[in-house]
Order: sequence, then C-alpha cells, then structure tokens
Amino acid sequence: MSEQVQKPKYTPDPNSAKYKLNEITVKHYREVQEAKDRGEKIGWCASNFPQEIFQTLGIKVCYPENQAAAIAARGAGEKMCNVSEADGYSNDICAYARISLAYMKVKDAPEQNMPQPDFVLCCNNICNCMIKWYENIAKELNIPMILIDIPFNPDYEVSDSQVAYVKGQFLAAIKQLEEITGKKWSEKRFKEVMEISNRTSRAWLEATSYTKYTPSPLNGFDLLNHMAVAVCARGTIEAAEAFETLLEEYKQAVIDGTSTFRAEEKYRIMFEGIACWPHLRVTATGLKSRGINMVATIYADAFGFIYNDFDGLIRAYCNVPNAMNLEHARDKREAIIKKTSAEGLLVHTNRSCKLWSGFMYEMSRQIGEHCDIPVASFDGDQADPRNFSEAQYETRVQGLSEIMDANKEGK
Amino acid sequence: MSVNELFNKFHEIASSPKEQLDTYLAQGKEVVACVPIYTPEEIIHSMGMVPFGAWGADMEVKEAKRYFPAFICSIMQSILELGMTGAYNGVSAIVIPSLCDSLKCLGQNWKYAVKDIPFIPMTYPQNRNNEVGKAFCRASYEKVIQDLEATTNTKFSEEALSNSIAVYNEHNKVMREFSEVCSKYSFISASQRSDVFKSAYFMLKEEHSSLLKQLLEEIKSMPKEETKKVKIVTSGILADSKSLLEIFDNNDMQIVADDIAHESRQYRIDITEKGSSLDALAEKFSNMENCSVLYDADKKRVEFILDLVKKHEAQGVVVLMTKFCDPEEFDLVPIMRACKEEGIQFVQIEVDRQMVNYEQAKTMIQTFKEML
Repeated sequence: MSEQVQKPKYTPDPNSAKYKLNEITVKHYREVQEAKDRGEKIGWCASNFPQEIFQTLGIKVCYPENQAAAIAARGAGEKMCNVSEADGYSNDICAYARISLAYMKVKDAPEQNMPQPDFVLCCNNICNCMIKWYENIAKELNIPMILIDIPFNPDYEVSDSQVAYVKGQFLAAIKQLEEITGKKWSEKRFKEVMEISNRTSRAWLEATSYTKYTPSPLNGFDLLNHMAVAVCARGTIEAAEAFETLLEEYKQAVIDGTSTFRAEEKYRIMFEGIACWPHLRVTATGLKSRGINMVATIYADAFGFIYNDFDGLIRAYCNVPNAMNLEHARDKREAIIKKTSAEGLLVHTNRSCKLWSGFMYEMSRQIGEHCDIPVASFDGDQADPRNFSEAQYETRVQGLSEIMDANKEGK
Repeated sequence: MSVNELFNKFHEIASSPKEQLDTYLAQGKEVVACVPIYTPEEIIHSMGMVPFGAWGADMEVKEAKRYFPAFICSIMQSILELGMTGAYNGVSAIVIPSLCDSLKCLGQNWKYAVKDIPFIPMTYPQNRNNEVGKAFCRASYEKVIQDLEATTNTKFSEEALSNSIAVYNEHNKVMREFSEVCSKYSFISASQRSDVFKSAYFMLKEEHSSLLKQLLEEIKSMPKEETKKVKIVTSGILADSKSLLEIFDNNDMQIVADDIAHESRQYRIDITEKGSSLDALAEKFSNMENCSVLYDADKKRVEFILDLVKKHEAQGVVVLMTKFCDPEEFDLVPIMRACKEEGIQFVQIEVDRQMVNYEQAKTMIQTFKEML
C-alpha cells in the first residue's frame, strides 16, 4: 500500500508584498464592518472620490466598484445582474451598478459582503453613470448623498474655474460629512493624510513602472489584484509600506532576472479598459499561452495621485483618465506605450462602460498610428459574463500576435 | 390661417430641417447646431445667430459606426452620422454639452469625424444650485462665448443677451400654454403636438412664438370639448417618431402633459434678470430640475411626474425609453415603482432612432389602453 503524498500547504511569506496587500484588503472590509457594528456611520464610496476627506475625518467607507469586481471575478456577476434586471433595471446599464443595486436589495453575497451604507459618497470623474447609480441607492435606502461633481474636461489643461468649483464642493463635502457623522475635521491630520497618500501613490506608480524592463519583472495582470489596495487604502501607512515592499521585490526581480510572468515574454502589449472580471482566467491565459505580457495599462495612473498642496490635490482628481479629453488621454497612453516598449494594443470594448468605449475607436486608431503598433479589440464586459465570447477573444488575440510577430520579423 | 393650415405649417417645418437651415443660410445668417439636452441657446441667439436643434434623425447609421460602438444611443449615433454625411453643411459650429457619458464621447468623436464644423463644448455643473456651481456655470458660458467669437463673425454683449432672454422667456410661456391647450382640446393629435415642439428647434424663437400665438388664438376661439380620448402623460428623451405618434393617434390617446426632454423639459424655467444677464442665465440652470441628466439625489422627478398625472387627470404614464440611454434607464425603476404604488397605469416602450418595426410598440399601446 503506497502512502499518499500530502502536498505541503502553501503558506505565503508574511513579509511579501502579496501577503501584505491581501491583508490590507481583508482588513479594509473587516474594519468597515467593525465600525458599522460599533454604531458608527459608514459610507459607500466611488473609487475616485477624494479619499483624503474621509481618511482625515476617520470615517470608514467601502467601495461598491471593488465589491462588484470581486463578486464578478468570483462568478456571481450574472446572478446579481439578474436580481436588478428583475426589478426593472435594463441590462444596458453598467454591470457594476446592476450588481451593486442588487446587493443593496439582497444584502448578502458570499463572494464579497460588506455592510449597508448610512450615506453615499459620489464622484463622477470616472463617469456620470456613477451619479445615477448612487442617486438610486440614496433614494431607495433613504440616506444622504454627497456628490463631488468633477466634470469631464473638454480641454487639455484643467481650468482655474474648474479647480474653484471642485474645491468649493470639497469643502462643502467636509461640512456635510461632519454633520452626518459627528466627526471633526483636523487640518493637521489632513496634512498627514496628504503625505501618506502621496507616499502610497509614489510607491504604487514606481512599482507599476517596472513593466518598463524587458522582460518585465511582473505579469501585468498582477496589477489588477493590487489595484484594490490603491483604491481603498491609499491614505494608509500600511498601503504605503506594502507598495514599497512590492517596489523592492520588483527591483530585486530585475537584478535576479526573475518575473511573476510564468512564461517566456515574447510580446509586450498595452491592455486598454477595465478587466473582464468574470473571464479573468480566460483573458489572462489567452495572453500568457502566446507569451504576451501586459506591460502597459492606464490603470496604474488612474489610482496614483501625486500633488504638493490642496490645489494640486484638486487638480489631480480632475485629471483622472476618464475625465480627460481625447488628446490628453491619448498622449498619456502613448507615453506609457513608449516607456514600456509595448508592441501592440488590445482594447476591451466594454459594454458596461459607455465613456471608456465611446471614443476608444478613434483614440486607439490614433495611438496605433502614432506608436506604429497594431491594435485589436474584443467585446466584453467588466462584470456581466454574458457579454463576452471566448472564441472572439481568442481570434482577436491571435490576430494581434501574428501582426506583432510579422513586425518583429520585419525589424 | 386656419388651425389646420397652421398645424400644416408646423408640420412642414418640423419635417424639413434641411430646408429651414438652407433658408437661414441663404438669408446670410450664421447657424449654430445645438445638441441635447441643454445648450445656452440664448447666448447664440444674442450674438445674432440661429441656434438650430441637432437631436439626430430616424435613419440608418453607417458612417458613425466607425466612431461609436453599438451600445451608444441612436441619438448620438445619428447626430454624428448627419454631421459626417453633410446634413449640417454651412453650420458655423456645434455646441455639445457633456451632461451624459455618451454626450462626452460625441464631442470627442466630432472633432475627428466632422472636421469642418468646429466643436464647442459646454460643461454644466451638476452641483448647480450653490455659489460655486453658479460661478462655474458662468465661466463655462464665458468659454462658449469665447469659442463662438473665435469661430464666427460675431461679438457678445450683455445688452443683446438681455433682449434674447426676453425672447426666450416669451417662447417658454407660449410653449407652456400650448401644452396646456393640448390637454384641453382633444382634437389636437399627438402628431400635431409633436410638430409644434419639434419645429421650435428649426426656427428662431421669435418666429416660432409668433406662429404659435396665431395657432393658440385660433384654437382658443373654438368651443371647448369633452374629451373622449385616453389621457396620457409621456416621459422620456424623445417622442418625435411619426410611426409611434400614429399609434397614439390611432388608439385615441391624448397627450395631456409630457416629461419629454425634447419637449416640455426645455420650457419649464424662465430667466429672471437681476443684474448681469449672464449671471441670470447661470441662475436659470441652477434652478433646473426634474430631468434625468441633472443631479437629483431626492429623485424629485418621480414626484413631478406623479403631479403631472394628477394635475391633468391622466389615466396613465407612457415612458418612451431611448435604447441605451442609461440616465433614463436608472430613473425608470423609481418612476415605475411610484406609479405602481399610486395605482397609476404605466407602460415602457423602448424606442430607437433606427427602429423600423413598430408592431411590438403597437401591441403594447393597445394592451395598455385595454388595461385603462
């Protein structure tokens, strides 16, 4: 009788960035729940709402976008979308919103639970859909809504009038939150939070910039996991330290010639758009099996806010990728492509995101021409699994790799 | 002119925007296209130009598909298609606001798809009813003025704006009166009602007011009648499809009030002049409410629609849902629930500018009528 060989249980190194980052996400959800259990008022918050406000006030919030992504990645996107569609929400509406509105109703999703909100914090610098989504939550739950309106900027630079408008709302939001929660604003704490947030953002941006090395020390899809911390814990020391650890690991990997991309890196591409969370494995494997590493994404920049003062903070929130005009958004991407030597552009035409996809055809055409790289796109969705076809994805990625191959041979 | 002749005149204008545009151009006037949902038409008018509505058209979209994916609403798609295929030739500029995500994209695509008609963005504040919101709104108007002066042969003056404000207030008043008259005189068909609203986009407002006043005078001289039709309130972005309006008319439905963006939402708020005319214009926007593209945390729009139903003793609400219009799709659920709670009959009909088959809509409206 042969003895069964027990596979040793994987124990992650508690000093590794991966462990620390995962712990931060777990702690984030735990702390919001604990605050709620203590009777504190907690909020649901848009991913690009200026987190400096509630970090300074010591208010706990959680992020419906992160939750929806987690629920979708763990396979329950369709189930939740069905709940909101049964209530009358069109399946044309953003799937994050549909999942979130369903969660508000059923109040339980084993894939990622979080406490129900006492208020909502909305910022539309990523899209106006956020406003409608949060209005419906506020109305349905009869809770206050705070909106910081950061309009889409049709000009290249952020105007002084926009800064003044956003600043005025920022100050009003502090007052509203003080009234709702009874907590008090501290200028000293605000300065500390700004310093920590900058430290986190610097480490995050520097770590993500390591995809510039050939081969890249990381699989670009790793960033999709780490991004959750950049969103929900930017203003914490733990996040700053975890990203600094991540940066050190990438530095060492470059020296050692190792990478978390477990294949030969034959091609380097930019991936455009939100991840296709319900099909993360398929989309990642479709690339890795062909030796394609995602080395460029606008994601990294989306959650790295560097500023020197209050005005700079406001400008940083006005300058997030989805609030920029085509030329500014294009130039930022072209700079990333050049810095990372990306050889192709794969665009996710995301059914859930009208703003991200609505002028992407033209922008990706221009990027392809200016950077002299091939562009391919596929249809998908950030959270509704029904809007993706694996066969189409495979064909498009194959086509892209063939052109990149031909380009390599030609060079 | 008789009532019928006047309605025919409105129909002719509503059905021939290209002829209207060419007529103004032949008169040597500069024309500026104005995209939904709101643009500062008063400014354009005050600078001696013709603000010309550009809400797309019922048509097949081909060229615009190079810019828009299929899930962007057909209003945006058809506006771009019209621009790309030369329907707006001769127009000096196009003002595109960014009140929804698809509108933001239309502006960005326009710059490359229709290079010969300059794009002028209009950025409205969502947090509009406070001092910073009003200041930002004013600054956005100033930017529009600057862009208009740079692209056309015109100059802005506060005095001229003040005169235009009077023209627009007057037009608001007659449009509101017309809507009320439609609720009292059931012989006015849904199609005729729509012609009056639609033609307003293709005429100078003083001309439209003048023609409409004649019509109102003629109608009001007629004896009032007891309606035998089914009274409904319509809601949505657009209700100008002739095929759809015919279904209303064939089913004896009378639109007694509307919450349509292309119709009454434009005429609810007047401008009160105190001090600077530009400030007054910003003040007007700050007072605007009950619209899916304007921030409304309390969803006052829901109550507003219920009130329209009660005030006009309507028997039901017909929501004309423009496919892929997410602001309207989000509002639909609370509107639907509120109607249910109040015992108000409700039907949602999905509409699209590329729609060719109205059989489903016909069945839904017939069923809705039977339920009433």
